[in-house]
Amino acid sequence: MQQVISRVDKINEAELLTLKKRLRYASMLLLAFASILVIRLWYLQILNGENYFKLSENNRIRLHWLKAPRGMLSDRFGRPLIANRPYFNVTLAREDAPNPEDLLNRLSTILDVDVNELLDRIREGEDYPRYVPILLKEDIDWKTLVSIENHLYDLPGIRIDVLPSREYLYENLGSHLFGYLGRINEAELSERADEGEYQRNDQIGKLGLERIFEKQLRGEQGKRYIEVDAQGFEQREVSVQQPLPGSDLKLTIDRDMQDVAEDALDGRAGAAVVMEVTTGRILALASSPALELDKFVGGISSQNWKEMQEDEMKPLINKATQGQYPPGSTYKMVVALAGLSEGVINADTTFFCNGAMKFKGRDYRCWKKQGHGTISLERALAESCDVFFYSVGMRVGVDKLAEYAKSLGLGEPTGITLEHEKSGVVPSIAWKKKRFGQVWYEGETMSISIGQGYDLATPLQICQMTSTLVNGGTRYRPQLIEAVMDADGNVAKGFEPIIDGHALGTAKSLDLIRAGMVAAVNTPHGTAGVAKSKSMLVGAKTGTAQVVKVKQYQHLRENDIPYKWRDHAWFTCFAPAEKPEIAVTVLVEHGLHGATGAGPVARRLLKEYFKERMDTKETVLIEDE
Amino acid sequence: MFHFDRRLLQHFDWALLLTLLTVIGISLMNLYSASHVGYYGTPPYIKQIFYYLVGCGMMLAIISVDYRFLLRANYLIYGSIVVLLLVAMFFGKTAMGAQRWINLGIIKLQPSELAKLSMVITMASYYCRKDTGKGFDLWELLPPTGLVLLPVILIIKQPDLGTALMLLFVFASMTLFAKIRLRTFIFLAVLILALAPLGWEHGLKPYQRQRIETLFAPEADPLGAGYHIMQSKIAIGSGQTFGKGYLAGTQVHLDFLPERHTDFAFSVLAEEWGFAGAIFFLAWYFFLVFLGINVAGAARDKFGVFLAFGVTALLFWQAFVNLAMVLGLLPVVGMPLPLFSYGGSSLLTNLAGIGILLNVRMRRFSRPGGAASKA
Repeated sequence: MQQVISRVDKINEAELLTLKKRLRYASMLLLAFASILVIRLWYLQILNGENYFKLSENNRIRLHWLKAPRGMLSDRFGRPLIANRPYFNVTLAREDAPNPEDLLNRLSTILDVDVNELLDRIREGEDYPRYVPILLKEDIDWKTLVSIENHLYDLPGIRIDVLPSREYLYENLGSHLFGYLGRINEAELSERADEGEYQRNDQIGKLGLERIFEKQLRGEQGKRYIEVDAQGFEQREVSVQQPLPGSDLKLTIDRDMQDVAEDALDGRAGAAVVMEVTTGRILALASSPALELDKFVGGISSQNWKEMQEDEMKPLINKATQGQYPPGSTYKMVVALAGLSEGVINADTTFFCNGAMKFKGRDYRCWKKQGHGTISLERALAESCDVFFYSVGMRVGVDKLAEYAKSLGLGEPTGITLEHEKSGVVPSIAWKKKRFGQVWYEGETMSISIGQGYDLATPLQICQMTSTLVNGGTRYRPQLIEAVMDADGNVAKGFEPIIDGHALGTAKSLDLIRAGMVAAVNTPHGTAGVAKSKSMLVGAKTGTAQVVKVKQYQHLRENDIPYKWRDHAWFTCFAPAEKPEIAVTVLVEHGLHGATGAGPVARRLLKEYFKERMDTKETVLIEDE
Repeated sequence: MFHFDRRLLQHFDWALLLTLLTVIGISLMNLYSASHVGYYGTPPYIKQIFYYLVGCGMMLAIISVDYRFLLRANYLIYGSIVVLLLVAMFFGKTAMGAQRWINLGIIKLQPSELAKLSMVITMASYYCRKDTGKGFDLWELLPPTGLVLLPVILIIKQPDLGTALMLLFVFASMTLFAKIRLRTFIFLAVLILALAPLGWEHGLKPYQRQRIETLFAPEADPLGAGYHIMQSKIAIGSGQTFGKGYLAGTQVHLDFLPERHTDFAFSVLAEEWGFAGAIFFLAWYFFLVFLGINVAGAARDKFGVFLAFGVTALLFWQAFVNLAMVLGLLPVVGMPLPLFSYGGSSLLTNLAGIGILLNVRMRRFSRPGGAASKA
């Protein structure tokens, strides 16, 4: 430092002086440039001031945005699901409303809305520029519209704005899937400030496909330049740039399948998923109970929201992708695959079931108290023998089981284009160490061998797993979009199957598992007889997911157990067995038994898909696990 | 060097500080008019007060360290800025289609702003070291040109044409001030004239070309690129001699004037206060720039002269480009009026610049080690 500074400090006075002399030129230049600005100011303000003043008074050009019609949603056959229709919205132009109090009182009677709700809207809009109208009420019906039109003279400042918005052609069909629109909030607005594509009062997708495909569905706004007078009223149109309509989404969903799935769940808490096993196309993805979409139009009230959050049926959750349940006996396919492929068992290996298995002094029961006797794989799958799978699972070990489970897509999100998908849990020794900091107990391997304990899966995962097991071992990613169609009706992006992996294990093992699932439907003691058809061979597996072991309820008859402690019912199936086309997975929360709780839903879905190719007769349901 | 010397206070440039405070006062008053309605959350004029306070704190910190320290830290400063520009390029946050910000959580750093001052410091150090009084020739100009071009290219990539041009303007001013040989000057002038058409074709993006074309015929495209210029000219012109009155500018309050609290803040002033008010403000404003030149004239050593001159040139060019833009004399480039427009980054940079000026001025008689001597 000293060295550098001492160099600076060797001041040559003469040199310094010549340098400083040049500053005079700088001052002169400064004066010259400043003069240019002053002359320009004089030219604009004094010489042409009057002209510009007139321009500012009379000739004001203002930009209005033209909203693009939002893209529509249709099913795989092009049948429209969600379209657009004009909404009649009531807005207030503050410039013309000298006495809003009085006005709002009259308006609240006509609209049948609490006057405080209207005042809230006005308070929210107070910060906007004066000429921006405030939206008071969205989507009024025909009768209200007529009555407002009749009273328009008594309602100064009230206007009716017509805007295209959503029309739900099938009410709440696919509500979790398609989602809903809502008014853009400040956070969303500032996130998109860069794009400048959104204005206050705009609609934006808040959930599901409406949210995820917001960019494509929205299109591009048009611009309309108008001249307004000094009060801000339109004088004439200067130019228009038409909006570019949003892209339509053609879904892989089959409207009728989706409808049947939701109808069959019948308001019970649960989910149903139908997937094409050789492509990953989702034909139906239902979560019940549905969201009531009309409650969301114009922003959901906080009371409605709270009610939904506290509802024990959990309508806000998409149970197909966000609901995590112990997979129960549907997990036995994983254990079978691991056992066969690791050489622990083969098709002929037998174990003896006497109704329970003792391990470290504790009885691990089979669901069938009297036991299955000597039993091999096919019957074990068909009759869902717990003791058989305890034995296999213990020989394979928890970490090997986890490898096979993961190869079938369990333990990670499937990657479907829906938000907040859950990953489920595939336990392993390392997982438990990390999650709880505890060592693995061998007894826990017993529990997970029958899909209880730490095991968790979503209905979509089980459906994907079933597809993978029966299509020869290819794990296709479940997809919802058949095509994105641009505004001219051309396919901008078409469906392409995505392979996310392959099942571990041999083709032979997969064949044996498939045979076991077919036996579950078609042998006399099989647990899944509910899906039996005379004309088509179906394979299936039932499951029961224990919610919690509560001693005090064990002596009760199951219908006396309180709702929230009852077991969940699983049913997963595929058909036709020779060359599988679809996999159907149903979960009914607290539905007690797979066959009785979830089976009938799956059967209706199979019937809807195969129509006359399949005839089902009402089967007498046998006692289930 | 850190211990306090009464002489420092004696030579403090009170005139510069008072002029600055006047400009700040006018700025806040004007900003209130431009932004007291229509904003959600904290209004800009409140935030601006906060920025001014932070900036003044920073000025205080800057004047407490001898400016000659910058001569030593020069290459470190330069290197850090280049690194920051690279970081902004790869990890920066995009605003209005340009990679400009580095988000540090609470603070958003805009390295291209910092690059302006760092360029002044770099050039001042270079010319102070190499100046012989005879003028630079072409070969001697190559190293400083390289030093400038590196950040300029990085900034153009963002793309932020306004700031890049600013760096070149300041570089050119300082180089001319350091004196170049006549032959070199003529050669460079011819070269630049010859290369200009090439730059027009290949160096500029279509929207940038359009802005320049619009300048010469804004009426041809009143709704597109000409919209800003038209509305600004209408705002200024309609102010006439004495203006429409404070808070009464129709262009401003009916939302015609875009970017009214940032780049077009001067238009608001001119509309509401008219020619009289605008001239009054410009007088103060250019007096501030003039005081900057004065500081250069009073500096004790060459480094101080170059430094003060560079900071002043930076201030001047930003102001001139902004004012010429809002008056419809130059294309719209996105350049705030220093010390006047709303915006934290630009404000802090320019207040730091003022801090450097005060620093050079108050140490006009000081010796190494901080002891003072008579000249």
